[in-house]
Amino acid sequence: MEEFNLPTIMLTILLVIMVVMIIVKLYKDKKKGKSTCGCGCSSCAMSGMCHKREN
Amino acid sequence: MNIRIALAGNPNSGKTTLFNALTGSNQFVGNWPGVTVEKKEGKLKKDKEVIITDLPGIYSLSPYSSEEVVARNYLIHEKVDVILNIVDGSNLERNLYLTTQLLELDIPVVMAINMMDVVKKNGDQINTKELSKQLGIPVYEISALNEIGINQVIQACLHPCACETKNIFSKQIEDTLSCIENQLSSIEKKRWHAIKVFERDEKIMKELNLAPDQCDSIEKIIQEIEQEYDDDSESIVTNERYEYISTILSTCYKKNNKGKLSTSDKIDRIITNRVLGLPIFALVMFLVYWIAMGPFGTMMTDWANDGVFGDGWHLLGIGGSQYEQAMEQYGNSTEIIDGFMVEYGNENMVSLLELDALKALDELYNLTPENTQISYEVIDEETLDSEVFVANKKDLEKAIHEYTNVEYKQAFGQPDTSTYGIWIPGIPVLVNEALEKLEVSGWLSGLINDGIVAGVGAVLGFVPQMLILFFMLAFLESCGYMTRIAFVLDRVFRKFGLSGKSFIPMLIGTGCGVPGIMASRTIENENDRRMTIITTTFIPCGAKIPFIAMIAGALFNHSAWISTMCYFIGMAAIIVSDIILKKTKPFSGDTSPFVMELPSYHMPTLKNLLHSMWERGWSFIKKAGSVILLSTIIIWFTTYFGFVEGTFRMLEEYELSHSLLASIGNMIAWIFKPLGWGNWQASVASITGLVAKENIVGTMGVIYSSSGNVYHSLSNAFTSVTGLSFLVFNLLCAPCFAAIGAIKREMNNTKWTCFAILYQCGFAYAIAFMITQFGNVLTGTTHFAGLIIAFIVLIAMVYMLFIKKGEANNGRI
Repeated sequence: MEEFNLPTIMLTILLVIMVVMIIVKLYKDKKKGKSTCGCGCSSCAMSGMCHKREN
Repeated sequence: MNIRIALAGNPNSGKTTLFNALTGSNQFVGNWPGVTVEKKEGKLKKDKEVIITDLPGIYSLSPYSSEEVVARNYLIHEKVDVILNIVDGSNLERNLYLTTQLLELDIPVVMAINMMDVVKKNGDQINTKELSKQLGIPVYEISALNEIGINQVIQACLHPCACETKNIFSKQIEDTLSCIENQLSSIEKKRWHAIKVFERDEKIMKELNLAPDQCDSIEKIIQEIEQEYDDDSESIVTNERYEYISTILSTCYKKNNKGKLSTSDKIDRIITNRVLGLPIFALVMFLVYWIAMGPFGTMMTDWANDGVFGDGWHLLGIGGSQYEQAMEQYGNSTEIIDGFMVEYGNENMVSLLELDALKALDELYNLTPENTQISYEVIDEETLDSEVFVANKKDLEKAIHEYTNVEYKQAFGQPDTSTYGIWIPGIPVLVNEALEKLEVSGWLSGLINDGIVAGVGAVLGFVPQMLILFFMLAFLESCGYMTRIAFVLDRVFRKFGLSGKSFIPMLIGTGCGVPGIMASRTIENENDRRMTIITTTFIPCGAKIPFIAMIAGALFNHSAWISTMCYFIGMAAIIVSDIILKKTKPFSGDTSPFVMELPSYHMPTLKNLLHSMWERGWSFIKKAGSVILLSTIIIWFTTYFGFVEGTFRMLEEYELSHSLLASIGNMIAWIFKPLGWGNWQASVASITGLVAKENIVGTMGVIYSSSGNVYHSLSNAFTSVTGLSFLVFNLLCAPCFAAIGAIKREMNNTKWTCFAILYQCGFAYAIAFMITQFGNVLTGTTHFAGLIIAFIVLIAMVYMLFIKKGEANNGRI
């Protein structure tokens, strides 16, 4: 098994933090009712319907 | 203190354009009927105390459509300080109908006549002072698109004056309304309520909750008037409004070219022509995809895939031509030397070539007999074709000379592209160098290089093509052409029992399937609505573009026909499915009527187009950095880890068939064997496509990163027939989870949601199966059992297409 040197440990921690932040952001967006369709809302013809809850 | 300004006006009068200009926001300005079906609020750029509300476009304050109800309820029940009535100056008569109703609400009204640039261009004349005098409200000329006259309008809204009450109806009607007003004690907006009661507006009557004797008294008054006018009360009011409007217009509006066709009308004579409409549509879509995915788009994607996410590129092309000249001079010297080395060299010579090339090559030359000839193979990096050449000792001498020549290159051997001009290394090169310098562990290096960079990079490499496509689609939507397509399709497919209304969600879905599915809400008929929800995602959305481009690039030489074909396959799938489903009992019914305003054509501003393009592109990039990134980490782990001889460990590149992902893929690969691509790689790619369709590209990028060139690997894994089958299956099968969620919300029924997904997958499977089986006949690899089944499926489909509706509903289907 290869050694877990310092750069490996630091990069791994960085990656884990990044993954956790992404998951948290996606979860928070879902809770806020933000669409997860990935289309961009202000260019969307149906954003008025999608964000009814926010309005 | 907050001031609330409500923007009210007909559809396509420029409300949202004005709203964007006033608030600095960038709400979607679409030429779709019913684009704004909910109100939007924003704050005035220059004064945050002022709240601007963009209401849905309405023709009147009657309660017959959801937009009218939303707008009306807002104006009556919310505390609105000023109504800013946007009027299309090129269509004054129709727009003023709503104005006459707004004036009855006892709220200050300011009128802004928009599209004055169009009015002036047409040579029409509007006397705004006279119009203001006649209506009793301030009237201003504006051009929301060019932001002209907006400041004056806002100032007028911030300092509103009460409207002069104008009696627009005849004396008898006015007297009747006064009688009704007397019956409505302590009610706000008395005049407006009186008119609504006179029209017998059900919603208002319910709200007012009048006593029975009051209702009887009012009903008696109304009936007397109806008898006298020999018409119903609503029609009486409508007629009198239009008479009033005619009177006003005769004093202040002069139309140039009355009765003559406008520019939009002239264009529409060709665009919506019975014969030319569809071919023009086909040509337009081909051009869109040819520009985005053809030579220009491919050039951009090649730069992204091979440059930014590959080895690197020459900045602004500086050094590119020098390198090409150097390569031309160098020729096949490396291959010739390798050929002779294999034939007449030895292991020591090969090692010596690294340490002392001159000595090694001199030795090789001396060992090579005089009149000898060898053959060597050259593989084209672009096309992956190989060609065999013959070389003699003279060729070897020349090859050695070029190999050791440093006049046009910096070192022995093949010219190094990075030494010419300004070379920008690609992201994988930079990341790899950094990881090597840091001496990170092999598994982490693998995760970052072969997982994240390979997977996310494969998706992001298509961003340039996507941006070009989004730009083109935004242009078609904004200029007004897309609405014409719905009209053209309605005329053609009404014969098959389909309505153009069902095609509007499809046209919206070319950007993203989710708003396309949601746009089905505009379809009143429940059966048609369900049918539309099921079939809308057949049209390729933006997320499918990278996948289409990848297959086109790997198997069809970047042909733009592939992407155009995918668009029309999607459309054909919608039409075929709609025709078949309409003949079945759950979806049968009369064809929905389709009435739609065709907005005038106008040239959209570059700013709006670029903004729309960037918004969609940025969302795509963000998705790549979040959902796709997480997916590629999981895909990498399951690809590079598995059980070998009972031990769970990281795998070598030649051991990937033992991976966890391969195990999962092999469990389901048999399902896709009849489609010709029953291998674990294609199977798992299709499954990961459910998370996001871009994931198919990301997954392929991770799985095939170890073999070097992804395109090369794909061309080995698929033939043209099976590649097309794979493409069409993933094009038509169940959409991504976000779209499935939208289907679930819109269906509001688990049974129908499941039916939708099963139908999509089943339909995709049938089509992909037929492509493989019939395609194999053309390539001479016929499988008879499969061919017979494919024929049965085709016959069943044709039967369902042409069977009469009555027969289908008589319990047979």
